[in-house]
Amino acid sequence: MHLFLKDIVPAAQNNINTRFIILDKARSPASASGKSCIALAADETAAVHIQLWGDECEAFEAGDIVKLTNGIFSYVRNSGLLLRAGKRGKMEKMGEFTVAFVETPNVSEIQWNPDPENPKRYIQNGVVSAHSRIFPPLP
Amino acid sequence: MEKGKPFVASLHEVENQLELSLRQAFESLEPKLQPPFSQDIPDPQEFIELSRAIVYAALCDSGSSKTHIKHLHALVTDGYAFFTSLLVGTVVELYGKLVDAAKVQLLWLTKEMVDVSSVGLEDLLVSLLRRIGSGDYGEQNVWLCFELVSLFLDKWDCLLEDAPLVLTSALYSFLRLLADHCRVSGIPKLENVKRLEIKFCVKMFKEQLNLSLKIGRDLVRLLQDLVHISEFKEIWNDLVCSDVSKIYQSKTSSRYFLLRITPEMETQLRFLLGNVKLGSHKRHQVWFLKKFLLGPEKETVLIDIVRFICCAVHPTNEIIRSEIMPRWAVIGWFLELCRQNQYVEGRVKLALFYDWLFFDERMDSIMNVEPAVLLMLWSIPQYPHITHSLLEFLLHLVDAYDIACRDVITRGVASAFREIERKGVVQSLDMFLSNPEIATDLKKKLANLLSCHQDIN
Repeated sequence: MHLFLKDIVPAAQNNINTRFIILDKARSPASASGKSCIALAADETAAVHIQLWGDECEAFEAGDIVKLTNGIFSYVRNSGLLLRAGKRGKMEKMGEFTVAFVETPNVSEIQWNPDPENPKRYIQNGVVSAHSRIFPPLP
Repeated sequence: MEKGKPFVASLHEVENQLELSLRQAFESLEPKLQPPFSQDIPDPQEFIELSRAIVYAALCDSGSSKTHIKHLHALVTDGYAFFTSLLVGTVVELYGKLVDAAKVQLLWLTKEMVDVSSVGLEDLLVSLLRRIGSGDYGEQNVWLCFELVSLFLDKWDCLLEDAPLVLTSALYSFLRLLADHCRVSGIPKLENVKRLEIKFCVKMFKEQLNLSLKIGRDLVRLLQDLVHISEFKEIWNDLVCSDVSKIYQSKTSSRYFLLRITPEMETQLRFLLGNVKLGSHKRHQVWFLKKFLLGPEKETVLIDIVRFICCAVHPTNEIIRSEIMPRWAVIGWFLELCRQNQYVEGRVKLALFYDWLFFDERMDSIMNVEPAVLLMLWSIPQYPHITHSLLEFLLHLVDAYDIACRDVITRGVASAFREIERKGVVQSLDMFLSNPEIATDLKKKLANLLSCHQDIN
């Protein structure tokens, strides 16, 4: 089943199936070890920062609609909370343009804390920024 | 041609459903595609699978495509309707993914379908016409243009008998393309295409005038850009000397406006005008611009886009009342984009006002004139120069578009304004007539125009 972005929660599991549209892509590779880059993605309910890896960086452009299978949403050192395919997941282009998206809330810009009732789960604990601080909305 | 895959492979892309169904049918039936063919009559499901396999096989390989077509002839019981629908699907959904050799095969299959006058042939030819890109002078696009205009000339008799209206569609396409093609020179292959386009269009006017006139009033709009070509001078004079007001009275069917808009462009424009909210539209606008409008000569497609939006995208009342991007806002943006190019700007404005000139409330739709009036109205507070330039342009058209038909046009524009007020698109025309932001001489001219034809309404 496909999740909406507003419903994804950080976890150390490769089980997120969703689809989103890429809004913007950082120009230079973010990491020195192996090529990767950060991009802003969104759907009808929320936005998120995603990480593209290797040839994914060239394969996807702003405006592409992407299907993510078995993705993971977790903290990446120095880059914050990112949604990515990981080793076991897959990103595939499934269209262009035809998603009416929102840029707020951005689930990568939310403070997540462990759930006191179940420390393995995270719950929302306030908004760090309404919009992406890396990719501000167009003026 | 070597036997290869007809579609460009893409690593990070979900496979298109049609592509998948063609490929899977081919993979499972490949041994059955060689003679001796089975003598059994296939059941409907087998027929569907065999047709898919034959499309894939024929796109792959020119060497055996004659065998595949013979096989198809022996199987068919539906007038080639299903096979043709697969080709239409391939053109609409997969044309951009076809390798060059497969495009050659696709055109060859199309000619085969013309020869058997297949059911759905018109759709197939129209979908191919829509694949000729505007402002694209690359080898592939010039080739497609050459192939299609040659097809319409070579198969003239056959098409005239079986699908005459497709000749009218081809006339619309090639008249419009000629205007663009005459603006570029120095591309040898394009010179040859131009020669054939002129030959085809002239043949239509000379031999099939009634079919040509079926385009309606936009025929005049297209033709006036071609009067500088000697072959069209006589045609223009004959047309203008005849009862041109009759042509003006016949509204052009919206299906003609689709001809110069690719399916991708249509999808994106309809999405923009049906789903994207005003205020959060910026990224969609940038993507549309990047994909379709960047590059020399690409802007001329704005003329076709504006005509398409006015005449073929009519939003429901629910959408009009919502926060979705209104048509006037999108058109305002397009007008800003072509301000540097006088040739395009003038024609975009004409496209916007064209139905005003001959407006008859009994047969014309208020929705065709609504974008222009709302653009003029909503621009007053922040962009009065837009309102001014549009109103000035419209009033100039009344005076100068066709002096011999000045009365017809005056009545058309006045009726359009009255209908706009009567239907409540604009609360009152006083919003223009007594607006301090609008220049006095324009207001005077407008008031004069409206009073002239008060009695008629």
